[in-house]
Amino acid sequence: MSGRRVAVVGGVTTKFGLRPATWSELAQEVGAALFRSVPALRAEDVDSLFVGAAEPERFAFQSHAAPIVAEQMGIRPSRILQRTELACASGQSAIRSAYAAIAAGLSDVAVAVGLEKMNLPSMAEANTAMACVMDRAWDGPAGATAPPFFAMVAQRHMREYGTTEEQLAAVSEKNHRFANTNPTAQFYEKTFARDRLMRLPMIAPPLRLGDCSSMTDGAAAVVLAAENVVGRFPDPPAWIRGTGQYSDFHNLANAGSLTEWPGLAHAARTALRGAGISIGDVDFAELHDCFTISEIVEYEALGLCAPGAGGAFAADGRGDVGGDLVVNPRGGLLGCGHPLGATGIAQAVEVFQQFASKVPPARQVPDPEWALVHNLSGSANVHSVMVYGREGAS
Amino acid sequence: MSEPPRRARPAGATVVPPAAESAPPRERTKAPTPFLLDFFPLEGEKETRLARFYARLAEGRLSTTRCPADGRLLWPPRTACPHCHAETLEWVDLPEDGRLYAFSAVLAGAPLGMEAEVPFAVGLVDLAGVPLRLFGRIEGKSWDALAIGDPVRVEPYALGDGRWFYRFRASP
Repeated sequence: MSGRRVAVVGGVTTKFGLRPATWSELAQEVGAALFRSVPALRAEDVDSLFVGAAEPERFAFQSHAAPIVAEQMGIRPSRILQRTELACASGQSAIRSAYAAIAAGLSDVAVAVGLEKMNLPSMAEANTAMACVMDRAWDGPAGATAPPFFAMVAQRHMREYGTTEEQLAAVSEKNHRFANTNPTAQFYEKTFARDRLMRLPMIAPPLRLGDCSSMTDGAAAVVLAAENVVGRFPDPPAWIRGTGQYSDFHNLANAGSLTEWPGLAHAARTALRGAGISIGDVDFAELHDCFTISEIVEYEALGLCAPGAGGAFAADGRGDVGGDLVVNPRGGLLGCGHPLGATGIAQAVEVFQQFASKVPPARQVPDPEWALVHNLSGSANVHSVMVYGREGAS
Repeated sequence: MSEPPRRARPAGATVVPPAAESAPPRERTKAPTPFLLDFFPLEGEKETRLARFYARLAEGRLSTTRCPADGRLLWPPRTACPHCHAETLEWVDLPEDGRLYAFSAVLAGAPLGMEAEVPFAVGLVDLAGVPLRLFGRIEGKSWDALAIGDPVRVEPYALGDGRWFYRFRASP
């Protein structure tokens, strides 16, 4: 890691779910919530705004998204204003871009905001938007969307390693249980026992409804600051200590074995090396559980367990309270819902709040020093990873 | 939908060099409106540099491009080699036979225009004898009767508006 040190000094998440609000109203809501939540933040100090929004053209019929979000939030960026689009990783892209700008000395105080309004009157139209993430001309005509792709990952994982539906359900049960501690989660106050999860309708076999994250409306925002202005903000900062990314392929023909995600291993190695730590040092992780099988393959690609052992890792509670590390204490995409652009930002909010001991005791990780955040995008073809530390580099 | 015309093809799994080109690609596609809510591509030679791919599909041939400079078979068909960046690629026919590497089905959540086709099966198919694993719709059997390793055949098909696409058909 080079350049100036950068930290997240505040953040907020709106309620996720089926929101009776438009896309731009979500931007107003997250802006108002951010300035309430970070009283030390003055709008005139925000020199740059990065807007993580995956598909406002499809979901809200709105392009030129960054300036309208700036206007809705009451921010007039004087240095850098841009939208970041990387499908499901659009939010983390906004944070990485803000980080790069601050580290390079081009910004001092930046806001990274993510938002998506995914529930449309016609779910077929929303599904069309999701299908656009795939290679439209080649995979799109066959009806490729995320559920059948990740279903094939699960099918191969079951065949090669004996992974079971019970093990998939263990991931969903854990993340929904954590979501019950998070009032912003779409599935707050909704519990799912494993046997009930395994009776839910099949969406894309072998994946059932409870194995899939939802189409969700929501927004989240974080404030990032350069080391010389971090002291203006009274809460303990979450320092960005490492970041990595890897893009393997796009067309599904180039997806390899499906069960190995070498791009994640590569991105995580880069991020952990930047922080000077190994995966065993991480106290909690926000992993991209767009589907239950994703979290299982991620355990393996991150080196938390051997290839093929991710199902047992889940069923044995090694990613749960009292396990090796806590995975998805926020409730994950499964429990919180997955408003594409907002997800990566909401994960960073969780890291900030965990470090600042601002989450409910039921999910507070005791004295965390290190956190890892992962987003995949598309058909797990791109992996983006960030490592946060409670201490800044010396 | 009627069966497309099929060309005789040598048995076995090798990529065959292209025969002399026959039917020329169409100039333009009679595209639906709004085109941006339709997943099928524009196929005419005034619309894509890969119009030859669709013209060959209409002859019953699934083909792709190969880079003559480095010999690599590329999928999807390309206009420039991603390895050596040569732009003079050649067309080759692909094998008709393959086996299911993985599959699933869309039981809910289909995009616009595909709702009436639910449930439908999709899968990744290892084409025989070439290092290509293609994604596509799997017809001919219900998803719950399919198994990994099942033999399937490439099936070009007409959309009914002049356009062509490809899918796979499992043996009954």
